[in-house]
Amino acid sequence: MFQYVLSVMIFMPLLAGLFVLAAPISKGIARLAGFIVTGIILLLGIELFLGFSGSAGMEYVESRVWIESLGVNYSLGVDGISLLVLFTCALLFPLIFVVFSTRTKGFYANLLICQGAMIGAICATDLVLFYIFWEIMLLPIFFMIGLYGGPGRLAATLKITLYTIAGSLLMLAALVYVGVAYHTQFGEWSFNIVQLAKLNLSGGYAVLAFVMFMLAFAIKIPLFPFHTWLPDAYTEAPTSTTFVLSAIMAKIGVYAVIRFVIPVFEIEFARFAILLSLAGVVGMMYCGLAAIAQKDIKRMLAFSSASHMGVIALGVFCMNVQALTGSLFQIVAHATSTGVLFLFVGLMEEKMQTRNITDLGGIAYRAPIFATFFAIAMLASVGLPGTSGFIGEFLIILGAVKFNAFIGILSGTTLIIGVCYMLWMFQRVFFEKPKELTEKFTDLNMTEVLTFLPVILLIIFMGIFPQPFLKKIEPAAQKHIAEFSTVAPTVIVDTTVPSEGLNHQKN
Amino acid sequence: MIQNYLILSVILFCIGILGVVSRRNVLIVFMSIELMLNAANLAFIAFSRFHESMDGHVLALMVMAVAAAEAALALAVVILLHKHKGKLDTDVFSLLKG
Amino acid sequence: MEHTVSYLGLIPLFPLLGALILGVMHISTCTGKPFSEKLYGVLGCIGPVISFIYALIVYFQLKGMPADSRFLIHDAFTWFSVGDLHITMGFLADPLSSLMLVFVTFIGSLIHIYSVGYMSGDENFGKFFSYMNLFLGSMLILVLGSGPVVMFVGWEGVGLCSYLLISFYCKDTDNVLAGNKAFIVNRIGDLGFVLGMAFLFWAIGASGFDYLSLRENSHLLTPGIGLVVCLLLFVGACGKSAQIPLYVWLPDAMAGPTPVSALIHAATMVTAGVYMVARFSFIYAHVPVAGAVVAWIGILTALLAAIFGMFQHDIKKILAYSTVSQLGYMFAGVGVAAYSAGIFHVFTHAFFKALLFLGAGSVIYALHHQQNIWKMGGLKEKMPKTYWSMLIGALALAGFPPFSGFFSKDEILFSALASGHTGIWFIGVAVAGITAYYTFRLIFVVFHGQPRDKKAFDHAEDAPAVMTIPLMVLAFGALCAGFLNLPGIFGGNLNVSHWLAPSLVEHHPHTSLTVELLAMALTIAIIVTGIVIAYKKFASGAEEPEYTGFAKFAYNKFYVDELYNTVFVQPYKAIGSVIWKSLEPNVTDIHVKVSSWLYRKAGTGFKIFQVGYVRVYAVYMVIGLSIISLLLSQSLN
Repeated sequence: MFQYVLSVMIFMPLLAGLFVLAAPISKGIARLAGFIVTGIILLLGIELFLGFSGSAGMEYVESRVWIESLGVNYSLGVDGISLLVLFTCALLFPLIFVVFSTRTKGFYANLLICQGAMIGAICATDLVLFYIFWEIMLLPIFFMIGLYGGPGRLAATLKITLYTIAGSLLMLAALVYVGVAYHTQFGEWSFNIVQLAKLNLSGGYAVLAFVMFMLAFAIKIPLFPFHTWLPDAYTEAPTSTTFVLSAIMAKIGVYAVIRFVIPVFEIEFARFAILLSLAGVVGMMYCGLAAIAQKDIKRMLAFSSASHMGVIALGVFCMNVQALTGSLFQIVAHATSTGVLFLFVGLMEEKMQTRNITDLGGIAYRAPIFATFFAIAMLASVGLPGTSGFIGEFLIILGAVKFNAFIGILSGTTLIIGVCYMLWMFQRVFFEKPKELTEKFTDLNMTEVLTFLPVILLIIFMGIFPQPFLKKIEPAAQKHIAEFSTVAPTVIVDTTVPSEGLNHQKN
Repeated sequence: MIQNYLILSVILFCIGILGVVSRRNVLIVFMSIELMLNAANLAFIAFSRFHESMDGHVLALMVMAVAAAEAALALAVVILLHKHKGKLDTDVFSLLKG
Repeated sequence: MEHTVSYLGLIPLFPLLGALILGVMHISTCTGKPFSEKLYGVLGCIGPVISFIYALIVYFQLKGMPADSRFLIHDAFTWFSVGDLHITMGFLADPLSSLMLVFVTFIGSLIHIYSVGYMSGDENFGKFFSYMNLFLGSMLILVLGSGPVVMFVGWEGVGLCSYLLISFYCKDTDNVLAGNKAFIVNRIGDLGFVLGMAFLFWAIGASGFDYLSLRENSHLLTPGIGLVVCLLLFVGACGKSAQIPLYVWLPDAMAGPTPVSALIHAATMVTAGVYMVARFSFIYAHVPVAGAVVAWIGILTALLAAIFGMFQHDIKKILAYSTVSQLGYMFAGVGVAAYSAGIFHVFTHAFFKALLFLGAGSVIYALHHQQNIWKMGGLKEKMPKTYWSMLIGALALAGFPPFSGFFSKDEILFSALASGHTGIWFIGVAVAGITAYYTFRLIFVVFHGQPRDKKAFDHAEDAPAVMTIPLMVLAFGALCAGFLNLPGIFGGNLNVSHWLAPSLVEHHPHTSLTVELLAMALTIAIIVTGIVIAYKKFASGAEEPEYTGFAKFAYNKFYVDELYNTVFVQPYKAIGSVIWKSLEPNVTDIHVKVSSWLYRKAGTGFKIFQVGYVRVYAVYMVIGLSIISLLLSQSLN
């Protein structure tokens, strides 16, 4: 039975979501159903994580012929690259159902559909199947922001939807190109990623297709300068949706680059790696600087999230095993830390009806537990050793230095930039004298403590014992890098400075 | 011989088009459309005869059926339009102006 | 393996556990009735004391080993391992770290005990001890870490605790700002540290990224990379140890409670940078240029901070600048490759500076949080215990023989001279004079002369025993610690240097005895002059002077804070606003704006065809149909 676990994990929330949408049930029951379904998914996810053997290949593989004439298969699988993304997706959804109660039935249904589609996108190993889930994923987001968002929700939801759909349609065109190219080269149709990786693409059309793929994912990640939908969408969306967007959806963009772009377009990727990594670094700095000017704490976190996504993306573009593994690890680390921060902001908004930093102050006295949890999540987000954030950032910076010393040094500034806006915000919100609004702020109750404590502990656990996670993802990352380097060995850019030492050592 | 029938058909069709384009009364526009349909029917029958095949007949009958159904609907629309504005002038209904 | 012991990892664990327990206790009773201070005090002190006992065990075990293979390791678990990078959560005790270990735990325990008295009555008593324990645990990880990455854990951990403790009284915005400043400036240094580690790893780290392997492979390092690594690591050291240009956070850090200033911002954490340079002596020794940079930055910092110290009026600020200045000495020492001298100054400095801070704390405590020395005076009679212990501390700080500071400072100055850095030696001697002057300015103004604030003076008295006993213990240390490393000319044989030798890569330069004696005499003469000037000016009760000209300039710390504020902080915030208000909507978002604008324009353009009359649409249809028919007939022919 466990052999179909991926299908179960995809279709259970999808069907449950449709059921909740259609069935005449109260919102309390909808919430309970959602919690149970996501809870089961979480258990399955943990079981799947523990059962994953840590080999470099695909596990839990399912494959069925779907559209035979076009070689499209319903094929699923998990390997080291998707494992942690999947784990994050399974881990974080139940939190929403516990923490937020003032939502309607439709909202819960959308959340469930969203989770199903996301798991589908993560597990699909067929490009067409991936594309379908990728598009389904956007629909619930559209409704959640458009129906349940803040005052500027209509503009925000239109912007995110049109923006991402524009990217996706480009990807669809590129996808057709890839399929046709495969048919020309091998005489049969296939969209399986393993088959597509054998493609030998070159020329202007290949570059164009690469750019189209990258654009779709760059918008989703979001990579500078395609991040402009993000501040509006993250701010206007209901907090739980922001949580989904930042913690999981953005990560699927990064994941998709690793899974679909790099194996198919090795040469183009290597050629554009410097440019892309610059985009990552510049985005990190740009969004980090923009974050300091924010008065709305949620918008600040939105920019912070974009800033960190720049670093994660950078890790992918560096194309060495440290950076790639660091990125994959950071996906979970960032999802838990920033995700939890967004949830905390949501709690604050529910309790005080404001997100304006200048209205807040002195929460640390009113709510010491809340402040402590917030501080731990914040410190993880700025990459303090002992928390999960450090491992990922350290590996990425280490890899970036190897990739290019200049970019490595720039990427290191994330250590400083992150701390500046975070500490300043923490000072104004949690320290200083309590203000009128914060006087009535109550600390976390028992349920909330028990909800957040596992995540907080996970943040610390992953900082101290990251090896169980790294062990599972590293072989796949190694394999990925090895396959990449055999195809594009000449174009990988290496800096003169560190390699001088390396060569020396070889002699 | 077939040319004569076809020329007649074209003439009928052009009269229909002119009626649709130049007249503003909804009923007359409607009648012009019927004229165009019947012009097409005439062409079908002519071709059917010419090719000694029954296909044209079938299509002509089909068009008549469609025209009848359309007439029923269209007249209902016309009545509603009249109820709405009290006139049957097409230029009154210009809400789609950009 | 005989070098493997399993208790090294426990040493940091005890204070960390203490921090956890105290923290949970504090949080869970935050809104209700708190636990008694006695319970917190005992729980808070127990971790450091156990660590101290373990430190002694480590020391004696090392002592029992042959000198050339004195080290103990404990690889607790694989922390993370990716590709060639294998980081073990490992701990290493060698002579260098064991020395640090012993004095950190010893002084840490004393200051914890002192804090029980100092912090009594504070509503956040539990929180304070939790943070202090957390600090000590992090510091021990820093000291014991078997490789740079583990050291970095402690490195950032102590930075965090420093932040938390500086902003301990967090209702006051200034304190929090000082905390932020400390954290952010430290982070700038940490960036250097991380990048230094990265370069080091890619150069020689593939076969093991811990000190023992790195040291073995250090000869593979090319000079270019070596220089880059050294300078980057030194940036880290500058941040943590408050050197130019990153020293600005330390004086502000005095916003924290005084025991914190004593433990973190004088005795232990701030010396981490010196420790780090000594730890990497196997790299620095190969790159003399980097050493010279370190030494010059150090000695210039010593001079600058000493000048600032001459004109301050806040008792803790004076001590803070003296700390910065002494740290400068230490860097001058390690910079001229006299690593053991630098570390020895770390060691003695920890005693007398902790002593001075705790003494200052007692004064502040007695005067109800008065920190301005010009509001004190004549306290000698009222607080004899504090006075005498502080006097010992002051003599040690001034470097007066035979107090501990004399030996360590002289060792550094002599090494600078012997290694040919005459300029550094010269500035060093001058700074020694300035140090003597401002230290005794403090002593004379605070303890001698007439009381300037009668009311506060009347209530002043020596602190309770829980606070004075640590003072006396430290005074004993400040008095005697120097004898541990007695140089040859006094009949000693540099015990500490020899003890440290296996951990370090250094060679002792030799000069003639005459030069050594002459240099020493000159230093002592300058120090005595400094004390005498201070005595003349302040011993019989001077009033707060109006500073003008250079003095005012120095009193305002050369306006460096203001300069940084205008050059870095304000532009940083301004860039943030510019990005958010102008760049983001008008430039970055331009592709979105342009496409939506194009759509709108196209819509308006096509609008003219939408006339709204049915017959016009019919005409369009006719035209379209005609065109299609025409094209069809063309293609059929």
